[in-house]
Amino acid sequence: MEFRSLMTLQVTVGGVQRIGAVPHGTRATAPITSGHFEGPRLRGKVLPGGGDWTLLRGDGVLELDLRVTLETDDGALIHMASFGLRHGPPDVIAALARGETVDPGAYYFRTTPRFETAHPKYAFLNRLVAVSTGDRRPEGPIYTIDEVL
Amino acid sequence: MQSRPLMTLRLSTAPTQDFGAGPHGTRVTFPITGGSFTGDRLRGKVLPGGDDWTMKRADGVLELDLRVTLETDDGALIHMTFEGIRDDGAPAAPYFRTLPRFETAAAKYAFLNRLLAVGVGEIRTDGPVHVIEEIL
Repeated sequence: MEFRSLMTLQVTVGGVQRIGAVPHGTRATAPITSGHFEGPRLRGKVLPGGGDWTLLRGDGVLELDLRVTLETDDGALIHMASFGLRHGPPDVIAALARGETVDPGAYYFRTTPRFETAHPKYAFLNRLVAVSTGDRRPEGPIYTIDEVL
Repeated sequence: MQSRPLMTLRLSTAPTQDFGAGPHGTRVTFPITGGSFTGDRLRGKVLPGGDDWTMKRADGVLELDLRVTLETDDGALIHMTFEGIRDDGAPAAPYFRTLPRFETAAAKYAFLNRLLAVGVGEIRTDGPVHVIEEIL
């Protein structure tokens, strides 16, 4: 499988909304308040208003369902949605929950971003599949996103 | 990004069901009649009854939305879905990529519940073939 770098995306998370126990697990929503992204083909900022609708499953895997709007430095809006999974050894996940910085290699945090845009310059994003590795920092996650070639 | 082989999936399809133009594009479904999958960690057959609910968008890209049931050679059932893109007009070569996900209750295959995967698809005369790798 071949990949090429698309962007690094860093988002800032606001106060988490703990919905609690629901039929499929434990739901918590993390509002995205800001952020930025940078790559060889696009760069810009994350608009406030997105979020990550997370669900902790019974098997300890956290399902991620992120939606954000990206605004490029030349004014294009890009809708991004990604599904993801995060899990790891209990002590590592506990350290993340305490807001500590943990080596991202110590746990599995992967997502599959999809993009939609009406801007011709970025229309290539409508036509690709991508994967990312995540690094959960105290202020919010950093995603290293690669295009699947 | 690092990945490692998970399986090669071969599908047999029945004649397509052409719905025509709807609000999101042109919908065509590909009923799955069977198939097989082989990999280092699992192998077996595809049960009949799945389908790929595809949507041809206005920009020419075919969006994929597949659901099938896999049965391993030792009797476990695995629910598999993927979304994906097939862009036969991509500049260099046809782009046919998928994002498979799995659900199973079988403890031996529970690792599938915890991984993300990427597939590279190819249309052959006897049906589509997907080379699927786990994202490490």
